[in-house]
Amino acid sequence: MSLSREYKVGLFIICTAVIILLALLYLAKSKGFFATVHTFTLSSRTGEGFTEGMPVVFSGFNIGKVQTLELNDKGIVLIKIKIPDKHVKWIRADSAFVLYRPIIGVARIDVTTDNLDSPPLPENKIPEVAIVNDINDAIGKIQPLLETLERLSRKIDSMASKTDEQVFSKEGTLPQINKILKDVAGKLEKLNATVDNLNKISKETSEGMRDLGALRADIDDTVKTLDGVSRQIDAILSKKKDSEIKVP
Amino acid sequence: MRKSLLTGLLIFICACGATTSQIPEWKDTASRQLESYKKSFLTGKESAADTHFNRAKNAIASSNNLNLLAKAYLTRYALHTAVLEDFSASEFIRINKLQPVPANFAYYNFLKGNFSTVEENLLPSQYSSLIKPARNKNLIKALQEISYIDDPLSRLIACGIWVKYLPYNENILQLAINTSADNGWRRPLWAYLTQLQKYYLDRGETAKSENAKEWLELLKK
Repeated sequence: MSLSREYKVGLFIICTAVIILLALLYLAKSKGFFATVHTFTLSSRTGEGFTEGMPVVFSGFNIGKVQTLELNDKGIVLIKIKIPDKHVKWIRADSAFVLYRPIIGVARIDVTTDNLDSPPLPENKIPEVAIVNDINDAIGKIQPLLETLERLSRKIDSMASKTDEQVFSKEGTLPQINKILKDVAGKLEKLNATVDNLNKISKETSEGMRDLGALRADIDDTVKTLDGVSRQIDAILSKKKDSEIKVP
Repeated sequence: MRKSLLTGLLIFICACGATTSQIPEWKDTASRQLESYKKSFLTGKESAADTHFNRAKNAIASSNNLNLLAKAYLTRYALHTAVLEDFSASEFIRINKLQPVPANFAYYNFLKGNFSTVEENLLPSQYSSLIKPARNKNLIKALQEISYIDDPLSRLIACGIWVKYLPYNENILQLAINTSADNGWRRPLWAYLTQLQKYYLDRGETAKSENAKEWLELLKK
């Protein structure tokens, strides 16, 4: 039996259409088009750093994204996150949400769940997002120190033209610089405590704050260098400094 | 930028032709930290003081020198005495058993108020003239000797020892208050003001005691 040409063409078109449709359906399914999506609401006192479409990450994997941001009557920012059904198991009642804004890379909401056996997060419960933006704060604190160092370098420039006596005498510039350096080292040491504290906080809320660790190492390094510099200046000023340990 | 500034600074220092006398780093650290400890302690920064003391202690410990370690502890006891507080000397006693150093023991006895056993020639020179009046409880002579002490901290320690173990008067408290105030040492200042208030109260001078109390409260506010 022979099929008419029109019939063959029709069959071809229908087959193609069906295949295209199937392919589309397959794509849509794998993209989660038909998956049930759960919406959770988080709250934050500030909307700064949040953007729509921002990823929600669990253990480094994208498990959802921020759908909308709203401001409620009390001035609290409500962040609605969309989590597909297959990932909803990671969101439990005791999950912690942290807005993490790294120095490099996009901001994200980190979800940490210590106890995966705890009950699922009810959709009407609104947990608060902790904000780890302290790297920026820490940098903000370093800023004045940089200014101090710049001031210092200007002083050294101006020293070049002065006589030794002006520089080295008791009221000279070098003792003053030494004082400033000690001051800077002291300030940096204070910053140490802050970073330590931050480390503690961030450990509680989320693991993997490697950036903070790096920053810490950087500060440690600077403190050491400054301490060394200050020691050397001390040594110059009093050729044989009395570092004998005596009872007062 | 920070790094380059520091490098510049270091180069500058090297260019100064520094022939630095070599002090071992642990010793330098220990003496610096002890100085910082004293300062933090006297200005009432307790947690910072503890940190500095521990650093000094660790630095000294790394040099295996028990004599210096004893000195560090004695410094701590002396500061507590200067602010009229009691101290537990268990660490020093343990060290002294292992490695007795007469000078340290003399200083310890002095801090503990055992004036009869103190060998005055072993004490730091600023205190040696104080032992005789202490044994005779001669307050007037003592006051004179204490006010001759140049170093404010030593003066304060002497005041502390006298006030803790011997009959004292208003003048010695006032001397301690002035010494603390001149140096901005909050902790001893408050301690001696409190002591002054008690002194007035014990002598039944209620008005003066109230004044001192009010004064202190205003400072603490």
